[in-house]
Amino acid sequence: MKNEELAVWGLLLCKAYPVGNIQIEVLKNVDVSIEKGRFTVISGDSGSGKTTLLNVIGGIDRPTSGKVVVLGEDLNAQDEDSLAAFRCSKIGFVFQSYNLISTLTVAENVGFPMEWLRKPTDYVEKRVQELLAMVGLGARAEHFPFQLSGGEQQRVAFARALANNPPLLLVDEPTGNLDRRTSAQVAEILNALKDEGKTVVVATHDEGIVKAADQLLHLEEGMLTSVDD
Amino acid sequence: MSMTETFFPINDLLRRKFQTGVIIIGLALCVASTLFVFSLGNGMGVATFATTENKLTPGFAIVFSRFVILAEILVFTIGIVTISFLTHTMMSQRIKDVGLMKAAGCPNDVVFSYFMNELVIVTLASCSLGVVLGILADYVSGGALVGMGLQVIPWQINPWVVLAIFAAFVLLSLIVGTRPILAATRVRPAVALSPSFSYGLSRESDFKGVAKAGLTAKIAIRSLFRRKSASFQIILCLTSVFILVTVSVAGGIIANETTGAWIERAVGKNVVLIAHHEMTIQYELLMSKFYTGAPEPQFNYTSGKYLVSDQILSNLSLMAGLRIDPRLVLEAQINEVQGFVFGQQTSETITVGDSRKGTSLIVGVEPDKVLSQWFLNGNFLVKNETSDAVIGDTLAAKMFSQPLNQSLKLLEQTFQIAGVCLDPINGGNVTYVPLETLQSVMGVSEPNIVMVEISDGINRTKVLDELRKTVNAIDPEFEVSELDETLNKQSGFLEHLWSAVMLLPVLSLAAVTLCMASYVTLVINDQREEFGILRAVGARPRMIIKIVMTQSSLILLSSWAAGLALGIITTVLILIPEPFFAGSTVLEIAGWLLAALGILLCSSLYPALRFARKPVINTMTHQ
Repeated sequence: MKNEELAVWGLLLCKAYPVGNIQIEVLKNVDVSIEKGRFTVISGDSGSGKTTLLNVIGGIDRPTSGKVVVLGEDLNAQDEDSLAAFRCSKIGFVFQSYNLISTLTVAENVGFPMEWLRKPTDYVEKRVQELLAMVGLGARAEHFPFQLSGGEQQRVAFARALANNPPLLLVDEPTGNLDRRTSAQVAEILNALKDEGKTVVVATHDEGIVKAADQLLHLEEGMLTSVDD
Repeated sequence: MSMTETFFPINDLLRRKFQTGVIIIGLALCVASTLFVFSLGNGMGVATFATTENKLTPGFAIVFSRFVILAEILVFTIGIVTISFLTHTMMSQRIKDVGLMKAAGCPNDVVFSYFMNELVIVTLASCSLGVVLGILADYVSGGALVGMGLQVIPWQINPWVVLAIFAAFVLLSLIVGTRPILAATRVRPAVALSPSFSYGLSRESDFKGVAKAGLTAKIAIRSLFRRKSASFQIILCLTSVFILVTVSVAGGIIANETTGAWIERAVGKNVVLIAHHEMTIQYELLMSKFYTGAPEPQFNYTSGKYLVSDQILSNLSLMAGLRIDPRLVLEAQINEVQGFVFGQQTSETITVGDSRKGTSLIVGVEPDKVLSQWFLNGNFLVKNETSDAVIGDTLAAKMFSQPLNQSLKLLEQTFQIAGVCLDPINGGNVTYVPLETLQSVMGVSEPNIVMVEISDGINRTKVLDELRKTVNAIDPEFEVSELDETLNKQSGFLEHLWSAVMLLPVLSLAAVTLCMASYVTLVINDQREEFGILRAVGARPRMIIKIVMTQSSLILLSSWAAGLALGIITTVLILIPEPFFAGSTVLEIAGWLLAALGILLCSSLYPALRFARKPVINTMTHQ
């Protein structure tokens, strides 16, 4: 497979955290390649390293060793400012705990990544309306995050992640905190993104989402134990 | 980690070194600055007032003492507000942990003991450290000030004052710090765990105009609103500090210039003295009594050799561009004469004063020729009123109850007191009377000194040379001397005093600098996860710094403006009557106050920079 066809390419990725005098190895020599436009699920038990792998792919965390190339960019070679610009324009993140900014309204939470790319105000307002309508929250634009339910906050997080129309979407346990009905709504959004041809990487245990995956990566104690296409 | 009620707080404090350090040093500096100001102020006050009779006149001393007292009140207020802020902050940061412990099943009383013990350890450690630092600062600065020639009694530590300050601050910290712990232990765990509990997240900002602001301002302003209590406390604390800084710096500078101007007006600028060379020395000694306290020797002022001859006076009057002020200076005993006033309610006549006696410097002047323009309470002498007198403020304070309603007796002549003036000569123990009356009372026909003012438009050096030649030709024992050097020494002495006053806010400024750092740490801890999200979504580190700096700047500028306005009002309207300052003074004051603002702004920058350097992943997890 040619490198330009790959959205994510990681080689011998290791990540260790010091805890006192001990190094806890969270990722151990993980080799990973994800094609563009594919819907990939990372599965594994809690503590297996799923979130850490997503963070490394997204440039939020740096590997202790190994190489990671995302959308043609070698993330190890970039400084903090370049990584920030890369994340803003190329990657959409959906965090497990929604992570909305509590001091911003729903519309502002969706709009701020576009402001950083200096998009015109009219465009930002129109795009925010579009995205909120897509996730079914058009009427909640002026509410603050604490006025929304968990499922609604999760949908705002999706809308924010899609604001700059990033080619790569990283989603961490999107249904972990949700009931069955809301989980189904989230699965629908993911399916729609898959149909749009976006590269989507989801860390999850959710059977419904796992079934829809084009590629399944299974982690066990920081090691990639199987890759199923 | 041991979870006993002793080891948990110790380990917990040691684990959070930065936060613990900021709180302990902040509290310690509060205690230290209060102790320092009380002690130094007392040392300066004692030294000043103990020598008031010989040096500072009451008029000058009262302005100075007002400053020291106000500084003491402000420093104590700042100490209280800072302690309240820091302990409240420290405990507010732990509310989530209280909720966690309760959720895990820890009994209320045990949770309460954990955090109370933590509060007691921090309070005792910081107050003890504060006492040591305060005593040390007092010892070092007292010695340094004495070395600079200032009037300070060093090492004036009163153990009871130390104990009182220590006890007051310990009690205050415990009372203020216990409130958030009690509040947290009373609420349900779910509520304590909710971020809305500690900083009112569930309340939307009341300030709707924020919606139109940029992203940075939006986050910054709404965050300030949601932690209203902490924001209000830090604004109160900073406002008190800026009042103190303004009063000390602006007040110090204005008071220095004003009192300097009072002296300059009393002595006269560019004035030369013509007198017998022994009389000149004596007159300068009398002038320098204000700053050296040197007693004047026995001196026969009316000895014939000191009298200025008619020939000198007539030759001087022939020279162009001169204003001549002949005076007869002598020392004599005066008697207080009782006065009468009407009672406000009963319309009865009330006797005021007594019949005290004392020695005063008596100066006879021609009212229409006087070069000095004293800072006066009442009126100066007028040409045809031959039995009026104006007395110095020290004499007024020492010998009269209501001087403006009383008279004085010199030999057998009674003089009605028309005014009280601020005059450094003879330390303010002076009586001005009409020259003609004094001459007739004393049986002396000539003055013994002549003050001469040279007009601005003419060549001063040339005129001085001509004056010296003229006077020497008539009587070689007489000399012409400039009084500017004495004037400069007097102004220098006042400058020394005011520069000591300006030292008072230094420790308070240091304490509040840490308070500001602590506030910014609170802001960052509170918004840590959100800053992490912003960075994860693509914000650069400098955006986080911008948000934190916007919050700090809003807090600082609002406190600065309020403190500046209140400080100037206090200084100009309350502390200094008839303030005098030039345009350059305003710039000097502005420079000092901007420097204080800059120091506080920089202190708030450090925690923000420290945080911005952290990897994104570390900022997203609460540590």
